Amino acid sequence: MTFAVIVFPGSNCDHDAHYATTHVLGQRAEYVWHKDTSLGSADVVILPGGFAYGDYLRTGAIARFSPIMAEVRRFAEAGGPVLGICNGFQVLLEAGLLPGAMLRNRSVQFRCEHVVVRVEHADTSFTLACAPGQRLRMPIAHGEGNYYAEPDVVARLERNRQVIFRYTNADGEPTDEANPNGSVNNIAGLCNEGRNVLGLMPHPERACELALGSADGLILFESVMRAVSGREGRMRVAVFDK
Amino acid sequence: MRARVFVTLKPSVFDPQGKTVTDALHTLGYAAVKDVRQGKYFELDVDAPGAEEARRLVSAAADKLLSNPVIESYRVEIVDEATR
Repeated sequence: MTFAVIVFPGSNCDHDAHYATTHVLGQRAEYVWHKDTSLGSADVVILPGGFAYGDYLRTGAIARFSPIMAEVRRFAEAGGPVLGICNGFQVLLEAGLLPGAMLRNRSVQFRCEHVVVRVEHADTSFTLACAPGQRLRMPIAHGEGNYYAEPDVVARLERNRQVIFRYTNADGEPTDEANPNGSVNNIAGLCNEGRNVLGLMPHPERACELALGSADGLILFESVMRAVSGREGRMRVAVFDK
Repeated sequence: MRARVFVTLKPSVFDPQGKTVTDALHTLGYAAVKDVRQGKYFELDVDAPGAEEARRLVSAAADKLLSNPVIESYRVEIVDEATR
């Protein structure tokens, strides 16, 4: 199975994503330069963390117009799994592939620490292997992760069960103290209506080995591997039926 | 043609930077400053036949790139070369 890791000028977690998928999980991964116009034979697309275009103007604002993004949009609209991590999440928001926007952290500080998030729903491409309510410990590293959307949009996200990760304390309670950036409703990650595009501020790819302080992030990649093999299975059945 | 674009956070959106600047001004004794909202200012040099065309072009650019309509609004001013 092949992961495409999109590389924007200023991406800096592309190697972490590549390492997690190849070295830790034993899959294939290919770097795709943002000026490329093909995702090749990718089964999963990862928009990695970093500072695409130096975060000039707004985080993700310029990266969303990179040539590869048209292809990422097509891939997502065809149901392909797309994971946006940190800056990748910000790019997905600017691109309109996920609703809402990011504001500067409430504290105006760059927050770099491990946080706990609660898995709200396990029926997305990247949380299939999770149990609802499961807590994951992953690092964050961002200055603009203060998720914002109009109240009616937030209400719709909650109603559609699109809020997938919420910042909580160790007991799984979404308290204000456990919210590192001021995100509305402690939202740490959300998915699209198709449940195949997911963005989150924490870094699962940096939490794939115990030596790094946590291996909780692995479950997102294991989930999508299961989702893709299930999807291929269904496609094979569909071909067979014809 | 010269255009100015002012991008500001919508009134309903919390501005952590503006709040920090407000607090700093209070620390400096400027108690009369009740609130600060921080925004962005752009100057665009535009090749357009007239002010209306320039405004249309710049507004489109502001919609598409200079502002994020989820959190920001903008205002465009066209400055005629002759009066500059």
